[in-house]
Amino acid sequence: MSLELVGVAKSFGTVRAVDGVSLRVASGEFFTLLGPSGCGKTTLLRLIAGIHPATEGRVLLNGRDITHAPMHTRNLAMVFQNYALFPHLNVFDNVAFGLRSRRVPRDEIRTRVREALALVKLEALAERLPAQLSGGQQQRVAVARALVVRPDLLLFDEPLSNLDARLRDEMRFEIRDLQRRIGITTVLVTHDIEEAFTMSDRMAVMQGGKILQIGRADEIYRSPANRFVANFVGPINELALSGVETVGGRRRGKAAGELSVWLSDAADASRPGERSLILRPESLRVSAGDIGTENRFPAEIEDVIYLGASSECRVKIGALRLFAIMPTPLTAGLNSGQRVNVGWDARDGVVVDAG
Amino acid sequence: MLARRIGAPALFVAPLVLVMVVGFVWPLVGVLVNSLHPNTPQGIDAGHWTVGNYARLADPFYGEILLRTLRISVAVTAITGMLAYPVALFASRLSARAQSLFLLAYISPWLINTVVKALGWTLLLRTNGMVNTLLRGLDVIAAPLKLMLNETGVIIALIPGHFMFVLLPLWVALSGLDPALSWAAGTLGARPSAVFWRVVFPITLPAFVAGLVINFIMNMTVFAIPVFLGGARNMVASMLAYQINLVQLDWPLGGALAVALLAFTLTLVWAGQRGAALLAAGKGLQP
Repeated sequence: MSLELVGVAKSFGTVRAVDGVSLRVASGEFFTLLGPSGCGKTTLLRLIAGIHPATEGRVLLNGRDITHAPMHTRNLAMVFQNYALFPHLNVFDNVAFGLRSRRVPRDEIRTRVREALALVKLEALAERLPAQLSGGQQQRVAVARALVVRPDLLLFDEPLSNLDARLRDEMRFEIRDLQRRIGITTVLVTHDIEEAFTMSDRMAVMQGGKILQIGRADEIYRSPANRFVANFVGPINELALSGVETVGGRRRGKAAGELSVWLSDAADASRPGERSLILRPESLRVSAGDIGTENRFPAEIEDVIYLGASSECRVKIGALRLFAIMPTPLTAGLNSGQRVNVGWDARDGVVVDAG
Repeated sequence: MLARRIGAPALFVAPLVLVMVVGFVWPLVGVLVNSLHPNTPQGIDAGHWTVGNYARLADPFYGEILLRTLRISVAVTAITGMLAYPVALFASRLSARAQSLFLLAYISPWLINTVVKALGWTLLLRTNGMVNTLLRGLDVIAAPLKLMLNETGVIIALIPGHFMFVLLPLWVALSGLDPALSWAAGTLGARPSAVFWRVVFPITLPAFVAGLVINFIMNMTVFAIPVFLGGARNMVASMLAYQINLVQLDWPLGGALAVALLAFTLTLVWAGQRGAALLAAGKGLQP
């Protein structure tokens, strides 16, 4: 079942929580709405679910216009951040809730609830009340309750944010695995980059009610559409860019006012002065000896911070401060105050709007 | 260790326990003891024990009064329950400021002296009172309705008087209800009516029952309103207790009446709560 949003908007009073969102989620795809809190991602999810009515635009589920359909007619299921299990019903009755709403025969309810509980490995706890379950178990009940109705679309609202770190990692893969096996179209909302990257096929990065970029994890990480996306999905070094020119078929620019650097061929040369050169810390190389990168400058080490498998190296090129993250063995012998070379390849730099 | 764990909390509740024991339990025991002694023209005969006082309560005169008290109390509690739920539901969806003003309107009857309130009702409900005058002026009725000095008058005046005891606990339960529960039910295919009967109502049922129980007890023991709006021919248990204890000065019979009323009310409350617990247990309510 595919999902399509066309120019969807939602206003609360004068606040436009969702501001003209269009996107397509393919059948069986795991799609994530990623963004900081207050970016409108949860509101957008609720518009899809029918909890709030959309102010503008259309919501299409498999081509059927459901923009104004009441939520109980949409045949979708949602897993809430706090799970929203019915506290007065035991696990079995929680899972059976959607089937009873659909007037499924009693025998079939029993079979399907058992299957759903087996899927999330909770057969033994069918008689328990939600209050007698751990957070992880409650989470599984919520997933079983959603899957058992065989929805056309599965919605997750920050489903893992109330779990402790270790359980969260486990559940990520469990949910992803379950989703692939069943092949159900899924939309997940999260502010957690790792969660978005490990679980989704594609994602939309949102801010201020708008979508800034849609793509796979690697596309968004390596080719961010703007400075906000670049900064949101990972640490960056940002250098103001001016005076972009073409030298021998290749692009060259002035970074941070003084450094003449080679830029990637994909760099948009228009509007110099409003643009930034974004460098991921892991694409920088720092060495006491010679380095073979296209851009390289003499620098001084300010600090080397041990992080385990990798180390962070803070350097200064004149007044410009940069930080690099390298495998720890490559930082052996580097010390504060040491004169070194720092560099990067042109294709690792991304030129974006500075705004 | 154990003594220490119990020690500090015990110290905090001690003053209240003392007040309750001296001011409530001790007199109650006295009432119980009195009820088991015969009454004589010379006073209570503490030298003899009897259940005769309880036997006298079997008189149809007392039975009728008890039945009337029960009838009025059940009617008031039932009508209040049906009216209070929609009001609480409405209140829980207002803005915080509107909620407090709205609830104040329902609490305000309790802020007025009960005798003044009862007299006020007589101005409204008597034959030439405001209600009858208005209805006749509008040609709704030809002859005045008998709205007081009967059970109807008592019921009309008690409903607003004890309304907040159902409304307040229910409002707390409803405004504390996580909206995601209703959304979860809705996305799982439940119509708005099913969301109410299968989710909202069963979850708030304990608070609702608690309110109904308080309301019922208040109705069983209310004094001023039945005196003014029911009159001597519609005597209820509290008026009877007044008459026996303070007019006839027959404390043993009054004690027996008090003990019987207490046992009766507690049994009904227990049965009501038990019923609600069974209703709410596990299954929830089917539409």
